[in-house]
Amino acid sequence: MATDGQPTHVVRAECEEFLYHAAELLDERRLSEWHELLTEDVTYKVPIRTTRERSNESEFSDESFHMKEDWRTLKVRTERMQNDFAWSEDPPSRTRRHVTSVRIVDETDDEIEVKSNLLLFRARRDDTDPDLLSMERQDVLRRTDEGLRLAKRSVHLDHTTIPTDSLSIIL
Amino acid sequence: MSKEIDQPESTGRPHVDRTSEVLNRMARSLEEGEVPIEILNDEEVHEREMERIFGQSWVYVGHESEIPEPGDYRQRRIGKDPFIFTRTEQGEIKVLFNSCRHRGANVCRAEKGNTTHFRCPYHGWTYQNNGDLVGVPQKGAGFSHLDADEYGLHEAPHVDDYNDLVFACVNPDAPPLEEHLGGATWFLDMYFDFIDMEVIGDPHRWEVDIDWKTPTENFYGDNYHVPMGHKSAIDVGVGSDTATGEKQSELYGVADCDGHGFSFYQIESEEPSFWGHPPEVVETFNDDVLTDEQYEVARKSGVTLGSVFPNLSFIFLGGSDDPDKGSVGTFCLRQWQPRGPGKMEAWNWVLAPEHASQEYKERVYEVGMGLFSPSGSFEVDDIGIWEGMDDAAESVFAKDGKVRTLFTMGSAPDAAATEVSDWDGPGTAYVDGGLTDENQLDFYRAWHDAMTTEGVQ
Repeated sequence: MATDGQPTHVVRAECEEFLYHAAELLDERRLSEWHELLTEDVTYKVPIRTTRERSNESEFSDESFHMKEDWRTLKVRTERMQNDFAWSEDPPSRTRRHVTSVRIVDETDDEIEVKSNLLLFRARRDDTDPDLLSMERQDVLRRTDEGLRLAKRSVHLDHTTIPTDSLSIIL
Repeated sequence: MSKEIDQPESTGRPHVDRTSEVLNRMARSLEEGEVPIEILNDEEVHEREMERIFGQSWVYVGHESEIPEPGDYRQRRIGKDPFIFTRTEQGEIKVLFNSCRHRGANVCRAEKGNTTHFRCPYHGWTYQNNGDLVGVPQKGAGFSHLDADEYGLHEAPHVDDYNDLVFACVNPDAPPLEEHLGGATWFLDMYFDFIDMEVIGDPHRWEVDIDWKTPTENFYGDNYHVPMGHKSAIDVGVGSDTATGEKQSELYGVADCDGHGFSFYQIESEEPSFWGHPPEVVETFNDDVLTDEQYEVARKSGVTLGSVFPNLSFIFLGGSDDPDKGSVGTFCLRQWQPRGPGKMEAWNWVLAPEHASQEYKERVYEVGMGLFSPSGSFEVDDIGIWEGMDDAAESVFAKDGKVRTLFTMGSAPDAAATEVSDWDGPGTAYVDGGLTDENQLDFYRAWHDAMTTEGVQ
């Protein structure tokens, strides 16, 4: 599969390293550092999912989204999230991103298409019942001089109605 | 009646249930501009709301553009009750109860789609998309006595639309929709008759542990919270052009408007504003449907927001989700769906002018979603602030009216908010309208009226 001759498990390990690192930055609320992992032409989408009959091609909307972002709007969002008056995350929710089932879908010389599952644990205040968000992320990672960067992400949620009170976090 | 089993031995006085006591006390506290916080998270109050408000009032169901073709349907809620919002083969809109007349199973299981028939998966009873029962398996052998004409799906007895906004009422004795909307029509004409609006895609829906009344009341006109509550968004330069200080404006609040409430920012300038829509989009608007006064308000409109009783709100604003990208006019229609005491689902639809370019509509969507949605830069801080209100509301400490929230802003004789003497629209308009609670108090007055009135709303 790998065009430059690297075996799949090596490429996968490289992608896993990137995804784990990105997840750690988000869990630790190092949002500006996370933003540095994006290419300037990044597209980031979280389409709305609906309950459809099985005969339908897709449950995901191509015109409505929970997030539909580019480098600029993600910059604005991450800046806002770190502002002293961002009440939704102050006190912050505690998140833990469990990244699993990393699959290499395709690879060219400079880009790797990779899917991963994400289970996001989110606890607020002193609540003992966490919010759990489950999803698949379909990413395109690009090889750059600085290492891998996120060029494209489409988040496919396993939820129609979002089971947490706000998405003041990055998926 | 099981209710009486729990009652103490007769005291000789007629029993007044606890909710009625809460409402009786509230009648007095409303006179002082105060609202008992306990109504925001109380099982009995919630049950009565389901009966007296969502079981009696006109409730928003959807926009016609969400089901444009014959056979299109979407599942919707009236309060917590499951209905199907559908367009028949003849193009008529119906609001059908999603429960088979035979054993009650859901006949519609997808949340949207297109179908000529709804077939119950339990025993195969089949209904046309107008609700008529057209198929009963083994009818001759087992149900020869059944008159199919009598067993169509139940439907909301009243369904009507106002400028493509479809409302339904499950109370057979409902007044006409326009009577319920009252003065709200003056505003709705400005958004939905003047502009041919369409819904883009599917609504955002998310679960929030706050009572549906809190955001509804907020959208009656709580502009007082914006500088504090939304400082993070304003600091990074997103939101409306008036909030970011891009444009100077005067804020008006409208109270005494048949139970609904509105507020709007007016930008005094030679240059027309029209909620941030550019001239090529404004050109597509229907100039001739507004009065001169409405047109003038529309021309100067920056942000406009409001709520239609009981649980439909909107915000219409010219602004952006990125300080480097130009402003567009985005319209977010929101419904606060009660899910239990102190719990709701927020629903949000983004609407754009139907005749605008595809590219423009996409920007309208992005800005609406970027500011008002589960990820919205304004929305998230509102929700974050309200979190925990449910604990205070259900506390023993707050019971029996001991803790009240305050809606007295602007009530002193020297208050900044003053009535506009030459106001031509409905109700009473206040200039410096962010500094009065009159419009928001109207929500609780309307709520209290509905909760204490049996029958017609």
